[in-house]
Amino acid sequence: MSAPDRINDRINDRINDRLAMPLPATIAEAIALEMERDPAIVCVGEDIGRAGGVFGTTRGLQERFGRDRVLDAPIAEMGFTGMGVGLAQAGMRPLIEIMFVDFVGVCLEQMYNAAAKIPYMSGGRQRMPIVFKTAGGCIGSAAQHSQCLWGLFAHLPGFKVVAPCNPHDHKGLMAAALRSDDPVVFIEHKALLLQKGRDFRHHPDVPAEAYTLPIGQAAVVREGSDVTLATLSATVEHALAAAEELAGEGVSVEVIDLRSVVPLDTATVAESAARTGRLLVVDEDYLSFGLSAELTLRVIEALGHGALRQTARLAVPDVPIPAALSLERAVVPNAALIAERLRAMAKGA
Amino acid sequence: MSDTVQQTRFRRMLAMRAFDEACLDALRRKAIHGELHVGLGQEAIGAGMAEALRPEDAVVSTHRNHFHALAKGVDRRALLAEICEREGGLCRGRGGHMHPFDPDTNFSATGIVGASLPVALGYAHAFAMRGESAVAVGVTGDGGSHTGGFHEAMVMAAARKLPMVVLVENNALAISVQFSEVSPTDTVAERAAAYGARGLHVDGTDVDAVADSFATAMAHARDGCGPVIVEATCHRFRGHFEGDPEGYRPRAERQRLRDSFDPITLYRARLEAGGADPAALDAIAAEEKAAMKALLAEVLEMDMPDPAEALRYRFTEEAPA
Repeated sequence: MSAPDRINDRINDRINDRLAMPLPATIAEAIALEMERDPAIVCVGEDIGRAGGVFGTTRGLQERFGRDRVLDAPIAEMGFTGMGVGLAQAGMRPLIEIMFVDFVGVCLEQMYNAAAKIPYMSGGRQRMPIVFKTAGGCIGSAAQHSQCLWGLFAHLPGFKVVAPCNPHDHKGLMAAALRSDDPVVFIEHKALLLQKGRDFRHHPDVPAEAYTLPIGQAAVVREGSDVTLATLSATVEHALAAAEELAGEGVSVEVIDLRSVVPLDTATVAESAARTGRLLVVDEDYLSFGLSAELTLRVIEALGHGALRQTARLAVPDVPIPAALSLERAVVPNAALIAERLRAMAKGA
Repeated sequence: MSDTVQQTRFRRMLAMRAFDEACLDALRRKAIHGELHVGLGQEAIGAGMAEALRPEDAVVSTHRNHFHALAKGVDRRALLAEICEREGGLCRGRGGHMHPFDPDTNFSATGIVGASLPVALGYAHAFAMRGESAVAVGVTGDGGSHTGGFHEAMVMAAARKLPMVVLVENNALAISVQFSEVSPTDTVAERAAAYGARGLHVDGTDVDAVADSFATAMAHARDGCGPVIVEATCHRFRGHFEGDPEGYRPRAERQRLRDSFDPITLYRARLEAGGADPAALDAIAAEEKAAMKALLAEVLEMDMPDPAEALRYRFTEEAPA
């Protein structure tokens, strides 16, 4: 084997190694690289130190950066979320982990009344560089461990709200969140946290070095001409699966990954919908007063009434997430439900 | 104790009372259009804190925060202008009286009862991990001492022996609810033992006693001995907020508290008994009152924020260059 071939083999091995990385390891890598370059970053949360996080997203950080910078907190979310506010005011850059987003009810006070409002209430004098890292989404854990809630955070002014869908974006957006001077709610999807790089259809490749992605830019992850489908987080995978299925039926679906709810990249969605004339917003969060209505209306406002032939929404129909699989499949958007909705749209005008 | 220290304490209390009286004046002139919580009757606590606070220390205060801000060294012109909702205020009129933030002096507050303590905990952790000698002070009232955040902050601060002082201004009334009716313990200070922390109970109408206790607490925390709860009992002379009908206490009771427990009257009597010249004390009172009157006149001339700027300062990119 020639020298260049050996080098190519080694590069391929390395790429394959990285494709075998579980998504949590990619996230831990992103945090570690940022902690290396910025000593002000402090992580606080339940089981994030010795255990490395219940999903492994902080594995190895405490060993590397010590117990002061990676702090195992007691089950006292109100206490340690407010601690994040104080750390930020004291010049640190805290990452506060709320293990599951469903637990936010016990500490929302410090998030929405303090962290989100202080930059404004202080007239811009007090920055609030906090990342609220949390896991959301449905993996069969029923009503109290399956919610997304990004619509809740987006409704409360002052948060940036990020929910990535693939390893590449998790790494780049986590780095961007840790470098942001604004409070960022970073919602990982539990179903994605159980996967490895190569399980992802879109952008499984993750460079080893640190990089950032801009917060607030959607990505067109599949081009199409008949329907624009906008969604985010784990639903992007379901949307891509449904789009593949519909392609076999002669329907061309453009899939857009929103990547963040705040800022919401209406322009990218509107540009696509103006071409296709049909907009479907799929949201794993609750239907009413949420992302699906907000985005649809913003697109209509951007393009004018009558610019779209069809709009449709698919989201959790205002019901707690049920325990039984048969019920869960009926209410949480999945590839089958998305394909069904796309078919209905294609049969319409 | 030298006369200078005593005179300074007396002047501080007078300055604090004059400040809140200026706020009441501003309210009457409709320069404040929302809620106002003044601290009349609680001056000895604010004045007693001031001496042991260093510039690098942090104070996280409550809805009734003016005296703590002044004790921490927040510029009183900027503070009054913020309370009067002016563009030239501490927070450009976006925060108002319940939400003053001053990164320059490490002072902040919250309008949510009990929410100050977790924030103080964060400062304390930052100070400890950076090896600094600063102390974080979280202020709350008797009402806030019953919240979950109080407990959580004490658990975490005590477990790590963080430099935190919890100052409880116990005025015995959480709006209308009496401390004695809802507290499982006679004092808040005695709860410190449950956290392995130090608890101090002090008469919050006695500025000398507050200054001593608060200095003891700050030294304890600064020396790495862990958090301290300082409970200062006091009386609120006015309603919970301006406009509070105070149906929960008879007018005669309020008058009795004013007559018996005014920290300024009490201290003046002590100073005079010690030989202080009444004319000199009168002069201090007159100076502070005049200074605040002039300051209020100046603040009322300041501009209101521009409505076109109402959305600014939510995110970094909207802040000034």
